[in-house]
Amino acid sequence: MREAAGGSIYDLGYRHYIGPRLGRPHAIVAMYVQSLRSIFGIGRPLTSKIGPWLLTAAAYVPALVQLGVASISTGELDVLEPHDYYTYIQIVLALFVAVVAPELAGRDQRSQTLSLYFSRAIVRDDYALAKYAALVTAMLGLTLLPQLLLFIGNGVALDDLGGYVEDQWSDLPAAAASALLICLLFAGISFAISAQTPRRAYSTIAIIAVMVISSVVGITLVESIEGDGGRYGILVSVFSIADGLTFWFFDATPASEEPLAKADLWGGIYALTAVAVTLVCLALILRRYRTIQA
Amino acid sequence: MDESVRTDAAAVELDAVSRWYGNVVAVNEISFKLGSGITALLGPNGAGKSTVLHMMAGFLRASRGTVRVLGQPAFANPEIYRSVGLVPEREAVYSFLSGYDFVLTMAKLHRLKDPEAAARRAIQTVDMEQFEKRKTGGYSKGMKQRIKVAAGIVHEPSVLLLDEPFNGMDPAQRLQMMDLLRKMAAQGKTIVVSSHILEEVEQLAGNIVVIVAGRLAASGDFRAIRRLMTERPYSFTVRSSDNRGLAVALLGDDSVFGVELNGERLTVRTAQFSEFVRAAPRVARASGITIRELVPADESLESVFSYLVNR
Amino acid sequence: MNTTVFALTLRQIAGQRRILVVGLVATLAPIGLALIYGAGSFDDPLDWTSNTLLDSIVVRVVLPLACLLVGTSAMGTEIEDGTAVYLLSKPLPRREIVFAKAAAAILVAAAFLLPATALAPQLSLEGAGGEGLVPGFLVATALGICAYTMIFVLLSVATSRPLVFGLGYVFIWEGLLGDLFTGTRYLSIRQYCLGIADGISTVSDRVFAAELNGAIALALMLAVIAGATALATRSLARFELRAED
Repeated sequence: MREAAGGSIYDLGYRHYIGPRLGRPHAIVAMYVQSLRSIFGIGRPLTSKIGPWLLTAAAYVPALVQLGVASISTGELDVLEPHDYYTYIQIVLALFVAVVAPELAGRDQRSQTLSLYFSRAIVRDDYALAKYAALVTAMLGLTLLPQLLLFIGNGVALDDLGGYVEDQWSDLPAAAASALLICLLFAGISFAISAQTPRRAYSTIAIIAVMVISSVVGITLVESIEGDGGRYGILVSVFSIADGLTFWFFDATPASEEPLAKADLWGGIYALTAVAVTLVCLALILRRYRTIQA
Repeated sequence: MDESVRTDAAAVELDAVSRWYGNVVAVNEISFKLGSGITALLGPNGAGKSTVLHMMAGFLRASRGTVRVLGQPAFANPEIYRSVGLVPEREAVYSFLSGYDFVLTMAKLHRLKDPEAAARRAIQTVDMEQFEKRKTGGYSKGMKQRIKVAAGIVHEPSVLLLDEPFNGMDPAQRLQMMDLLRKMAAQGKTIVVSSHILEEVEQLAGNIVVIVAGRLAASGDFRAIRRLMTERPYSFTVRSSDNRGLAVALLGDDSVFGVELNGERLTVRTAQFSEFVRAAPRVARASGITIRELVPADESLESVFSYLVNR
Repeated sequence: MNTTVFALTLRQIAGQRRILVVGLVATLAPIGLALIYGAGSFDDPLDWTSNTLLDSIVVRVVLPLACLLVGTSAMGTEIEDGTAVYLLSKPLPRREIVFAKAAAAILVAAAFLLPATALAPQLSLEGAGGEGLVPGFLVATALGICAYTMIFVLLSVATSRPLVFGLGYVFIWEGLLGDLFTGTRYLSIRQYCLGIADGISTVSDRVFAAELNGAIALALMLAVIAGATALATRSLARFELRAED
C-alpha cells in the first residue's frame, strides 16, 4: 500500500501483459473460427440456431430421398443425378445466405464492435476475408457434403462401393469444383450486400430479391429474345449461372425445355462469369471494410 | 433534500412480486408501497432494478405477485397511462421528427384536448424551447434526455417513472432536472427514479428502495436505514488539539470500541451513535483537549449502499 | 384507426431510402419484363401473362417480398430494440395501433405493387383481350397485400426473428412444400390470391387454373386477415420488454 498525504493506493496486483503475443495469422484463424461458430449459432441463444440448422437439414433432403429410394430398389432407380442436385436446393442455399450473411456482417456494425476489432492485431482486410472464408466454408456444408453423402450412399446401396467408386470417380472432382464455385458466388453476393448496412432486415430481403429477381429476369430474357442478346441474357440469372457451371463440370446436357438449353452457351462461360462476379463482390466487400468508420 | 413519504395513499404497490426467466430469478418476492414524493430505485446493474421499473411501467409481467399502479394492475392495461408518465432509458427511433413535433405527437397520442399547448408547456418546463425546431436526430444526449422528459410529462401524470434520467446530462442540466422533480413532488406527484449515480440521489430522494441480487435489501429514508444497521459500527473522523491524548481518553469510554491514529486523523469506531456523540465532548473537556471537527465518516448514501451490496 | 400513428409510421417507412429502392425494383421488374416479352413475337401472350408474369413473378415473388419488407419495417425495429414503449405507454387500444401501423405498410406496398400489376399485363398482352386477368389479379394482389402484410406484422410482434419465419413461410411452406403437397393450398396466401384471380377472370382453365375455388379462396383470405389482426392485437397487448443482459 502506498500513501501520500490524504490518499492511498492499494496494489491489487494488476499487471500489464508482457508475455508472448500470437500474431496476425493467429488473429485471422480466430476470427474465422468465431465467425463459423456464430453462423450456426453455436454459443448463442436457440433462436439464432433455428434458421441455419433447419436450412442445412433441408439441403440434405434430396440426398436422403435418393438414398432411401436407392436402398429399396438396390440401386436400380435413380431419383436424381448429381448434376441436378443444386437445382433442387437453390432456394435453400439462397435462403441460407440471406439469413446468415446479414447476421455475420451486420451485428458487428450495429453493436459498434468494429473499432474493437480493428484496434487489435487483425487488419481490416483480414477481418473481411476471414468472415468471407467462414461463410464459404459453412456453405460447403450445404453443397459439397450432401454430394459426398449422395456419392457414398449410392455406392453403398449398390452393395459395391469399390466398383461404384471406380466407375463414377469423376463425379467427385466435378462435385467439388461446382460446389466450391457456387459457394464462392453465393457467399460473395450475400456478403457484399450485407456489408453495406448494419440493418439485417434490409440485407436479407435485398439478397433474396437479387437472387430471385435476377433469375426471373435472366430466364425471361432467354425465353423472350431471339439471338445473342437473349442467349447471353441468361447470365443475369444467379441460379442459372450456378446450374450452368455445374452442368459443365459434370459434362452433362440440360433437358431441352430448360432455359440453359435454349441459351446454348459454352459451359465454361458460366464458370467464368461466376468467378468474375465473385471477384467484383470481393472488391466491394474489401472497399466497404476499408472505408467504414470504426 | 427530504421528501417524506406518505404511505397511506399507495400510488405504486408491489406485493410479493417475483420474476424469473427460465432458471434465473431476476426479482425475488419484493413488496413495497410508494406514495407521493421522490423515491429512488437503487441497485447494482443486473440486480433487478430495471426489471422492477419495467414491471411498474406495465411492460413486464410479474411471474408471481401483483404490481398495482394507482390501484390498477400495471400489465396489459393501457388505461393507466392516462396518469402515468414514463421516461424510458432507450431513445425513440423518431429521429426525423423535430423536438416539438415529437412532444406534440406524444401529446396527441395521449388524446389531450389541446395538444399544442400541452407540448409547448412541457418543452418550456424542460427548457428546450430554443431547440424545439431541430430534428431529434441532431440532439446531444443531454438534449435527448430533456425532450424525453418533456414527452413523459406532457399529459401531467400523477405518477412519473424515470429510468436513469441523468445519463448524459451536464451538471447544470442535472440541477435543473432535480429542481423540476422536486417541484413536481411538492405538488403531490409520485416520482420514481432509477439511478446508480448516488450523489444525485442523495440530494434528491429521501426515500430509497435498494434492490440487491433480486431481493429488497432496504427501503425508507437512507439515514434511518443507517441507524438500523446496528451490526455495523459507526466511524467518526475527529480532528483535535491532541489526537493521541484524545484517543487514549476515548478508549476509556464504554461507547467506544476502537480508535485509529493516522497522521492528522483520528478515527473512532463505536456501536452506539448517540451515546458517543454525547460522550465525545465530555471526554474531551475532561482531558482539556479541544475538538475541532467531529464528522460521521460513513453516513453517505454511498457507504450505506456499498454495505448493502456487499453484505 | 389512429391517424397520428398512421402518419408517423408512413413517415418512418417511406422515409427510408432503401425501402424506396426496393419498392422501385418491385414496381419496375414486372413492367420491364412485360416490355421485353412484348418486344419479342410469341404465340401465346395470354399464357405467358397469366402464368409467368402474374402468377410466377408478381404473386410468387414480388408480392411477398415487398410485403415482407414493409410488414417487418412497420414495427420491427421498435419492437426489437424496445423503443416501442413510446408508442405503447399511451392510453390507446392496441387494436388501433395495429390497424394504423398495418394500414401504413399496406398503403406503401400497394403503391409499389398495384400500378405494376395493372400496367404490366397491358404491355405483354399488347391489346389482345385480357379476359379479366387485370381486374382479377388487381383484386387478388390487393387482398394479398393485406394478408401478407398483416401476417408479417404479427410475426414482428410475436416472434424475435420475424424475417426468418417470414422467409421460411413464403419460400419453404408456400414454395417448396406447396409445390410438393397440394394439401397445403388451404393454408397458403399465394393460393388464395391465385384462386381469387381465377375466380374473377374468365380465362379458360386450359391456360390458367388455380388450385382453389374462388369463393373458398376469398373466404380463407378474409379469415387469415382477420385472424392475423386479432393475434397481432393480442400479442401487442401483452408486449414485454426483452430482458437486458
